[in-house]
Amino acid sequence: MKLGLVIDLDTCVGCHACATACKEWNASSRVSGALSDYEPFGAEPSGVWFNRVRHYEVGEYPANKTINFPMSCLHCEDADCVTVCPTGASYKRDDGIVLVDQDKCMGCNLCAWACPYGARELDEATGTMKKCTLCVDRVYDKMLPPEDRQPACVLACPTHARLFGDFDDPQSEVSRVTAERGGFALMPELGLKPVNRYLPPRQPKPVMGDDEARRLLDRGLASLASPVIRR
Amino acid sequence: MQVVLQLYSEPLQKFRLAGQGLYDGPQPSALSDCERLAKYFDPLPFWYPPLEGSRAFRGESGSAARSIADEYPLHAITQRPMMMYHSWDSQNVWLRQILSENFLYMNRRTAGELGLSDYDWVWVESHRGKVRCQLKTMEGVEAHTVWTWNAVGKQPGAWGLSPDASEATAGFLLNHLISELLPAGDADERRLTNSDPVTGQAAWFDLRVKVTKCAPGETGIWPVFETATPLPHDRGYRPRIWRYHAHKAVKETAS
Repeated sequence: MKLGLVIDLDTCVGCHACATACKEWNASSRVSGALSDYEPFGAEPSGVWFNRVRHYEVGEYPANKTINFPMSCLHCEDADCVTVCPTGASYKRDDGIVLVDQDKCMGCNLCAWACPYGARELDEATGTMKKCTLCVDRVYDKMLPPEDRQPACVLACPTHARLFGDFDDPQSEVSRVTAERGGFALMPELGLKPVNRYLPPRQPKPVMGDDEARRLLDRGLASLASPVIRR
Repeated sequence: MQVVLQLYSEPLQKFRLAGQGLYDGPQPSALSDCERLAKYFDPLPFWYPPLEGSRAFRGESGSAARSIADEYPLHAITQRPMMMYHSWDSQNVWLRQILSENFLYMNRRTAGELGLSDYDWVWVESHRGKVRCQLKTMEGVEAHTVWTWNAVGKQPGAWGLSPDASEATAGFLLNHLISELLPAGDADERRLTNSDPVTGQAAWFDLRVKVTKCAPGETGIWPVFETATPLPHDRGYRPRIWRYHAHKAVKETAS
């Protein structure tokens, strides 16, 4: 098994629902313990998150596009964070999920330095490293209805831009969508074989210029509707 | 499949007839109300320029009427941050880590033409008043429009936050620029409400502004308000580390 996520950069609207749902579920998880927040009411609030959304712009107005980029642990096949861990706290499961055993972690930070994706966050209150668990305490929970046995971020996404599944199974939705849409890995040149895949944004349609709009008005707006409306 | 779209609205036509003096029922007496009904209560959909921008206004008494659109060339709009929809108070400590201050966002090319650049302090001025805030440029905004996140700026002490929270020290609101009433063209004219004529929805998106660079040394948001009085029984204690449980903890289930 090779469990992971597909994240569609075309439909992600950057609402941070995945990040907040992740925080909500994992803040109460026994896998990681509470996710601490520092100075939550003060001038510079910060805290532990497993999933953060960055926003970028590409291109120049009016042919520009905003890219919303959710980033969490990619559950690498050759995870350097596991290799460097001196206590064996970081481990990779048979199903592909990379976890940190909170009882073994001594907070040395080596894994965070080894991870080129910035996917690990030290909880300063417990002195231990924490990271995305792929909601391991949801996806196998037989007390949940089958459709809810998915990571909290996947369930929360309002545009269904996130998919969870087994990349070892060529028939799985994540494998199929990755093949169809040209899903890509982040920084594959580093050789860590990240599992998560990102679907590229589609090319933006050029904005209608004044001349083109004038021609459309001359033709009549009905020319747009006529092909699809039966009168 | 058949989709029925009702394009013609008889209730709107009744209002229009009232404005035209042709309705057998209550009718407005003021000419401005009659004109408003006759023009905007069209039973068929139509487009008209935003009302605020199409008005003339007088600044100081005695000065000649000027066009709002000429004087205030930019549209100013707000967007509610998506992550703050459907949230509740206990999530504020998380949500404010995502967004706790706002900037005025302007098209990069437009900013260049106005001699403005990232992090400049600017005055944003409407016919109603002005605010001071910090500018950021971007590509993803129409060239004649500026925007900012709505409802991030807060009075110091509001929401249980420390008075030096960035919502109070850097966040700002466009509310101070939005008038309840449309500008008066003539001194003796009855002021009309600044809202959609049909629904009465406040016309926040009709706002017109001009943006100018602050003088050297003019920094910080303006206006600044007094720190809010704490709620009863609030002794000011705020945890410096917050470990929040959203639900009963679950155990990892072995695969």
